[in-house]
Amino acid sequence: MFDRDSWLEIANTVLSNPLRTGLTGLSIALGIFILVVMQGLGTGLENGVQSTFGNRVSNLIEIRTGRTQLAYRGRKPNRQVQMHNADENALKEQLDSIPAWSRFLFLWGSTVQFQNEQGSYGLRGVDPDQKDLAALNLTAGRFINARDLDEKRKVTVIGSQVLRDLFPRGTTPEEAVGSFVMLRGVQFAVVGAFDQAGSRWENRSVYVPFTTAQRLFQNSDVINRVSVGTGSAAIEKTRTTSAGLLSWLQNRLAVHPEDSEGVWVENRNEDAEMFRSIFQGINLFVWFVGLMTLLAGAMGVANIMAIVVRERTKEIGVRKALGATSGSIVGQIVQESVVLMLVSGCIGLVAGVWTLQSLAPYADHEFFSNPRVDFSSAILALGILITVGVVSALGPATRAVSIRPVEALRDE
Amino acid sequence: MITLNGIRKSYKAGNQSLEVLKGIDCEIREGELVAIMGSSGSGKSTLLNVLGLLDDADHGSYKLDGQTMDGLTERMAARYRSQFLGFVFQSFNLISFKTALENVALPLYYQKVPRKERQLKAMEYLKRVGLEDWAGHLPNQMSGGQKQRVAIARALIAQPRLILADEPTGALDSVTSNEVMSLLREINSEGITIVIVTHENEIADQCDRVIRLKDGLIDNSNSNAHV
Ligand SMILES: Nc1ncnc2c1ncn2[C@@H]1O[C@H](COP(=O)(O)OP(=O)(O)OP(=O)(O)O)[C@@H](O)[C@H]1O
Ligand SMILES: [Mg+2]
Repeated sequence: MFDRDSWLEIANTVLSNPLRTGLTGLSIALGIFILVVMQGLGTGLENGVQSTFGNRVSNLIEIRTGRTQLAYRGRKPNRQVQMHNADENALKEQLDSIPAWSRFLFLWGSTVQFQNEQGSYGLRGVDPDQKDLAALNLTAGRFINARDLDEKRKVTVIGSQVLRDLFPRGTTPEEAVGSFVMLRGVQFAVVGAFDQAGSRWENRSVYVPFTTAQRLFQNSDVINRVSVGTGSAAIEKTRTTSAGLLSWLQNRLAVHPEDSEGVWVENRNEDAEMFRSIFQGINLFVWFVGLMTLLAGAMGVANIMAIVVRERTKEIGVRKALGATSGSIVGQIVQESVVLMLVSGCIGLVAGVWTLQSLAPYADHEFFSNPRVDFSSAILALGILITVGVVSALGPATRAVSIRPVEALRDE
Repeated sequence: MITLNGIRKSYKAGNQSLEVLKGIDCEIREGELVAIMGSSGSGKSTLLNVLGLLDDADHGSYKLDGQTMDGLTERMAARYRSQFLGFVFQSFNLISFKTALENVALPLYYQKVPRKERQLKAMEYLKRVGLEDWAGHLPNQMSGGQKQRVAIARALIAQPRLILADEPTGALDSVTSNEVMSLLREINSEGITIVIVTHENEIADQCDRVIRLKDGLIDNSNSNAHV
């Protein structure tokens, strides 16, 4: 099909009016370029947001308390609501399955000391499941376990920044494990170390068993927060669970049902869902704009082919007189259109990929990283180009076929 | 070679229909060199187009080499054209962006002859019309007579049995006209049937026979014997 003569024909069509061909090719190239670059930027945004927020595990529900705004059941507003151990036990009974569970006690600005070095960090009393709930990346040792809680042991798992700040330069996590640190003046054994990429707050924390924290630092049975894992439950299921928990807790803690501050039940699944739909929207928009530009280009190509057919009516007639079949004429026109589409499309593709690649090093931001086009999108775009090329050639091609040799050969 | 029986053809102009051919009966034998003459608008080109399978007749039957050509599909017509027929036009109809050699080779392209072979053959036919030195030239670099000789080479390359020429000398001066005419006669002497539409008596005189058209009918078929 693609012998030297076909190429000669194509070259002739393309070169017979370079300006027209160039402009049409440019619009196609631009369409693909815009599609590629926008797609890449979308991916970059997604990557950036993912690496900033995405590490945060999203299949959990967080329960916190705050100050009431409304008076309720004889209680005045502006009351600090507190969860206690008894509430937690009752809360557990409300749930039919609990994939993961952790209580929290937060002690901000706690002094952590190793030998002569000390600094102020976040201290968190937690349950063993916190490792999974936060998807903690342990670099050495172990996380807090059930025995630590039962025996209220003085053990701690330290964040990478704490290690860097307090331990001698070059201390590996393995070397840090087994040493002793002072937490708020009490000596704890370091049993593990962790490092969360891209998460500053996490790395500036130390974890201790929840029970130990309550006994040593709180001297009460207050709970600051409860995280309930939702496992692989569908978003709708987690919505009903979290709504149920909210009204149950409001009732138990005497918070007005309309009071949005007294009890907080935050479904982290919603965040993931939100990001997902935002990026889906962006993606849809990118394709829409790209396709519209492509469509404009396709109309340009259809127009060019129509002009080519009109200008070459006589030539087509001559070819028919010399034995050209309708098939060979349609083939020629479709071929010309597809080649025009593909060549300019590939130029746009290459330019787009090149732009993204030369952009990437300068575009590393909290919310933006590694812009790129996935291979399947590029293939899809090329597929669309070929289809559009064929479709936009069909009109002019059928016109060319319907040219009767006599009409074409008429002098005048 | 050619047998026409009651060929009728009319064109629609607006809501009127103009009958151009009103029942043509004629026979052209193999190896004949025939001229078709008649006043302008008498239907000469129309008849030639029917003969060349470029146009269909409304009525009548057309036999070419013993086979009936009535109601051919587009595809079959294209095949007969490429195997049986060669065309020479008044305005040459060379393809402007192809060299003389490529123009001559084009019919073989549609017969799917390999490129190398096509070019060798085309060169051979260019040599026959005396234009081997012009093989690489584009049509607009050649004179009218040269262009017509290229067109004749192109008509010959597929080794047709019948050549149809519509006023092949209409755009040429008398000297070049004679050159082209003697080329056509030479081809005819090798056994290829030729039908020439012409206005010029000098051309018609060099043919075996003249068919005169008048008001869509054959006027008088007088054979002017030629030596
Ligand atoms: N496609 C067409 N539609 C309408 N009328 C046509 C068409 N083709 C030819 N005619 C008419 O048919 C008649 C015969 O045309 P034709 O071209 O066969 O004449 P001709 O004998 O070749 O004339 P000339 O010597 O001028 O070339 C003319 O009156 C012409 O106007
Ligand atoms: Mg005519």
